[in-house]
Amino acid sequence: MDLRQRLVHLALRRPHALLVEVPGWWRTRVETERAMARRGWRPASSPAGADVLVVCGSPGADLGEVVDRVTDQLPGPRARVAATAPEEVATALDEAAARLADERAQRDDARDRTRADRADRADQGGDGGDDGGDDGGEDGGEDGGDDEDDGDSEMAPEGIPLAGSGPDRDGLEMDVLNVPLGPVLEHWPAGLVLRCVLQGDVVVEADVDVLAGGAAASPSATAAVTCDGAARALDLAGWGDAAAGVRRVRDLVLDGHHDQARRDLDRLAARVARSRVLRWSLRDLGRLDPAQARAHGLPDDAVGDVHDRLVAMLERARDGLAGRSDAAGDRSAVVEALPTLVHGLELAAVRLVVASHDPDTLGASRQERADA
Amino acid sequence: MPEVVTVGAAWAVPAALLLGLVAVVAASADAVMVARRDGVDVRTGAIAPLAETARLLRQPRRVTPAADAPLWRVGRGGLLVAALLMVAVVPWGSWVPADLPVGVVWFNAVDVTVWAFVWLAGWGPNAAFSLVGAYRFLAQALAYELPLMFALTAPALAAGSLRVADVAAAQQGLWFAVWMPVAFAVYCLGVLGFAVWGPLAPPTGGDIAGGVLAEVSGPDRLLLLAGRYALLAAGAVFAVPLFLGGGAGPLLPGWLWVLVKALVLVVALVAVGRRLPALRPDRFLELGWMVLLPAVLLQVLVVALVVVL
Repeated sequence: MDLRQRLVHLALRRPHALLVEVPGWWRTRVETERAMARRGWRPASSPAGADVLVVCGSPGADLGEVVDRVTDQLPGPRARVAATAPEEVATALDEAAARLADERAQRDDARDRTRADRADRADQGGDGGDDGGDDGGEDGGEDGGDDEDDGDSEMAPEGIPLAGSGPDRDGLEMDVLNVPLGPVLEHWPAGLVLRCVLQGDVVVEADVDVLAGGAAASPSATAAVTCDGAARALDLAGWGDAAAGVRRVRDLVLDGHHDQARRDLDRLAARVARSRVLRWSLRDLGRLDPAQARAHGLPDDAVGDVHDRLVAMLERARDGLAGRSDAAGDRSAVVEALPTLVHGLELAAVRLVVASHDPDTLGASRQERADA
Repeated sequence: MPEVVTVGAAWAVPAALLLGLVAVVAASADAVMVARRDGVDVRTGAIAPLAETARLLRQPRRVTPAADAPLWRVGRGGLLVAALLMVAVVPWGSWVPADLPVGVVWFNAVDVTVWAFVWLAGWGPNAAFSLVGAYRFLAQALAYELPLMFALTAPALAAGSLRVADVAAAQQGLWFAVWMPVAFAVYCLGVLGFAVWGPLAPPTGGDIAGGVLAEVSGPDRLLLLAGRYALLAAGAVFAVPLFLGGGAGPLLPGWLWVLVKALVLVVALVAVGRRLPALRPDRFLELGWMVLLPAVLLQVLVVALVVVL
């Protein structure tokens, strides 16, 4: 084996994958996460950190377009694969690994991209090509950054309009920036797009949309879904260990090991409720009183702050497992309420508030379709 | 004055290698802990730093539109440089690459440069999430830096010298970590802070798509990740002469004791860091100034009283 091959071989021990979940393909995404963990693959937080893009489900036209743009941002060697059922996941990951290992194809891919990139720049008449860049990475973490042009259109270095400005919460004039959150974002509800107008990192205006899939698959086991939502909130609170524990419970439920799942969940829920650091960190974030919750049509357990809702989510999962009540409630109304709920919060808080409400994007997109 | 020999410039290379070893062990330890958690063969965790390096060396550099290339480059490369400068003043038993009379101040000055490097790494790519990460780091640094500064003065005060070798030698019999636990704890939190690690990792958080790391790929990402582990390692290595008795210990030679103590501390930092939820930057400022700062000032007062009496 020469050095190059050895390098490739080593690199393939630890590919990083960015997951895109289409609403309705929850089960497929979960299976992908599990298969990745078994293989020692790591989740990526942004396209720049990913080798593989796994699309879980069949996206509709809008989501498909976003996925294409995100694929363009992968630095390469890269592979984009799709799985539309849990059984297809293993094959998809095998395929991704094989494509990453194919040196010749990856070299061709890199060359084609450089060419396409140059042609693009020539078309735009821009100077470009400052370093013969291999990559035309777009602005923004996830989907190409801001496209609305609020500022003077002639002031647009490299095609990106400069930020406009508006009055901020202290009555001063401050730059505004359009940053979409989602749909391809780690620990984020499937298909959700929250188009935020930011001043600094404070959301001053938001507008919500769900990019749905083709024919959606059936919804799945409630306790497991709730565990998954709680794990997401814990990850966003920066507590990866607890999140991994709750995810393991989710997997136990899916595999039918209910007794073990119940025991583990009891222990974890107690640990989460006990943690003083977590409570100190999440206390008073996104607080809702019962009247506000009712006004938005939210379930009763949406009352309180992020910490209360996280504890309630774990409680709900425990109830579901114990077969007590299946009080999951209808969590699709949350989607419509999100712009109001996140108004005036800074980005970290927005992420936590969204996760703590555990919005049901599949339900919301179905309702929208029924209304139309 | 204790005997330490300032070695020639060429000996900076072994010092850098030892730092690299501690950093690689930290990265491995982290990956092994993840592997054990996920129920995967721990060997895949142990070789993770190597696999990650190979993976990133295969990738091209990524360029974002209208990036501030020179400043971005400075930020990415700076972390590793800062870590190397920190360990330059650490005595490995009886030899030291640079025997500065103000070694403790030197360390502090270098850890402040990390502010600039992390911020520049986030500013450079001209992207929203990176910049949010960069400012998170500044908010956090504002909270940990002053407590860290006073935590560093406690051992220097007890030893009556800012020379690192003197501080190590002043701990004959009793480690400073034992009788100034508050200073030691605050110091460790400061290390987690400038290494952007564990509870103080929000500047690279998943909620902002990796923040400072959101737009970097290939060798650039490797530099940033290596720089973070190197800073964690440098913090652990510097803690040895400052709080853990330096190279003093039975049987083994001094430099090996420094290495062993640093390895134990760095693995402990990784493990503790994993077990804690994030300290959110907007709340951490309150903790830093209302709790940590008064606590560490009291600690310095106690040390001063002990020294005078």
